[in-house]
Amino acid sequence: MLPIPDTFKVDMPALASDLRMPYTLTPGRATGTFLAEIGSHRIVGSKFKKSGTVVVPAQDFCPLSGEAEYDFVEAPPTGTLTAFTETSDGLIGLVRIDGSDVDFPHRIVGAAYAKLAVGQRVEAVWAEGVKDSVLALAGFRPAPNAPVGAVRPLENPAKPLEVIPYSMTLHYEHAFGPYYGRLFDEIKTNRRIMGVRTSDGEGALVPPRELDDISHRPTGTWVEVKQTGTVRAMSVIHLEFLGQKQPPPYVYAEIMLDGALTRLIHNVAGFDMSRAKELVKPGTRVRAVWREERTGSLDDISHFEIIDEGAK
Amino acid sequence: MARSVAIVGVGQTHHSRRRTDVSQAGLVREAVDRALLDAKLTIEDIDSVVVATGPVLFAAVNQPEKWVVDAIGASQKPLVRITSGGGTGLAGALAGYYQIAGGLAERVLVVAYDKLSEGALQYSISTLYDPFWGREFAVGIMGFSAAYWRARMDILGHTEEAAAMVAVKNRRNAMQNPYAHVKKAVTVEDVLNSRPLAWPIKLLDVPPISDGAAAVVLSSEQQAARSTDRPAWIRGMGYFCEADNAAARSLLVSEPLALAARRIYRSAGITNPRRQFDVVEVQEPYTCFELSYYESLGLCAPGEAAELIRSGATQADGDIPVNPSGGCAGANPIGAAGLIRLIEGAAQVMGKAAGIQIPNAKLALVQSGGGWANLRGIAVLEA
Repeated sequence: MLPIPDTFKVDMPALASDLRMPYTLTPGRATGTFLAEIGSHRIVGSKFKKSGTVVVPAQDFCPLSGEAEYDFVEAPPTGTLTAFTETSDGLIGLVRIDGSDVDFPHRIVGAAYAKLAVGQRVEAVWAEGVKDSVLALAGFRPAPNAPVGAVRPLENPAKPLEVIPYSMTLHYEHAFGPYYGRLFDEIKTNRRIMGVRTSDGEGALVPPRELDDISHRPTGTWVEVKQTGTVRAMSVIHLEFLGQKQPPPYVYAEIMLDGALTRLIHNVAGFDMSRAKELVKPGTRVRAVWREERTGSLDDISHFEIIDEGAK
Repeated sequence: MARSVAIVGVGQTHHSRRRTDVSQAGLVREAVDRALLDAKLTIEDIDSVVVATGPVLFAAVNQPEKWVVDAIGASQKPLVRITSGGGTGLAGALAGYYQIAGGLAERVLVVAYDKLSEGALQYSISTLYDPFWGREFAVGIMGFSAAYWRARMDILGHTEEAAAMVAVKNRRNAMQNPYAHVKKAVTVEDVLNSRPLAWPIKLLDVPPISDGAAAVVLSSEQQAARSTDRPAWIRGMGYFCEADNAAARSLLVSEPLALAARRIYRSAGITNPRRQFDVVEVQEPYTCFELSYYESLGLCAPGEAAELIRSGATQADGDIPVNPSGGCAGANPIGAAGLIRLIEGAAQVMGKAAGIQIPNAKLALVQSGGGWANLRGIAVLEA
């Protein structure tokens, strides 16, 4: 590996990337029933038939024995604090609901950390107007005199929720490193596409990299590759999907820039898309078309246009 | 010297487009129960467990092995999770195989699953791409796969008609497979006229999106007889990779698959795969891949795949049946797909493939792969 000098800047700008993923989760029978009931202020557990283990909140499979045969029980809104901690979002704790054999992680509300103690009695606090979520239960609060309750058979269980809409937004800061860093600086500032020579100096690797993938030897000096190239492989995208950056139809292409030994993925455009199959083929010559905007990414290239060989 | 390893029990869910009655954990349980029943064992008999699932972005549960432990009944047992894109199922089986071959376990349960109905599939797959280099132009795996099929058309003659014949064959075979959920016969014309998604890939070249799970029980030779008198012996299994964006990567013939075939065939004594294998299960999942794999696996020479499908040799009644189960065309829960292929191959040599049994199948070839085209593996199974 290359030595890193003491003066190496470590606080460099990164590539921000957000993934926004929607989901439709399926909780299964036990959790689905728990969620369907919690808005009605009933806490549902599973009592496993063979072992007699009681699990609150309800689960389809016994965490102790693995058995899958169970009856639903209604658990009391009281229990004992078995662990707790303080976070920037407040107190959280593990609550052993009376009659349960496992702990229930949730918020601890209306209490100060210094006054909490393992073993103390707690009771449920309900959030009004919340349905289909464990947050219908706002949390548990200290209740020194709460009587010890017991689980009992759940009467008239609600139909389990089958689908729970959910989403995750994931934010990343990808470090460019020295090779991607220079590549995209050159693209942004000089509109040049840079590679590095292979260890034997024959042709360029794009994107540039520290080690030759085949020989595992350090790569050579930087070299600019041409902004023209040849389509190696292409497809015409008609599919619509979430996260897509442009409306179909468009041409997905893997392009070998002149002077490069590796592929660049981009789009070929600037012609009548209904003729894409005949106009863009493996072997078609293309040229980069730059956008006005300079962001320092491959998106600074608007697309590749077909080079009209006949017009030469 | 590695010990002999056999598949002694198999199980899979009845796959479907969407299972709203069970969670991911419930899906896992169904496959595990079926595999253990098939092996005449209980979870107490299992020394070690492998959980195999696709990328966590598919279904939003990170480190799902932690969650599905209870559903497997694996508490207190050794357990690892294996993930390798589409090749996850075979990679998971390989992890179990190594444990027994190396003498570290007698029986290993491998369970693989994906519940693809829960997330945004192509968007999730697009995150396989380098965030700096190509992700903004990625079309899941479909844009890439279609592009290299287009390249193979010119050089290897993998025409749209030839791929359509693969669709016709696999979809017809899937109609006899009780675990498949797409059961509709199509014609070559139907395929050619179906809606382009990433031309040349069209709707009927593409497998369904599925919820499903699969499990196998692997056993040492010493313990195999307790489960069955006709196990499927693993005569070789391997999973190989190629560089991601290195120079000289042709992507026309699958380099890692050809390498896997060469190495594993040698150790398993396969010198003429077309003649020696009685049945082949490949994880297509797009029709164009099956054509490519015919060549990479040595069932025919490069450039002869279109003729091989056209000749009828890979039909269920041909001399080298490929995907009598219907392959991914019948069901495609991605993380489980490789293990499903292994199960279908094992069921053939164990003589219990029922309605899709190839008569007297003794030697089966199974292929699986993940990560665009980078990771490919095979298994050779013998009665």
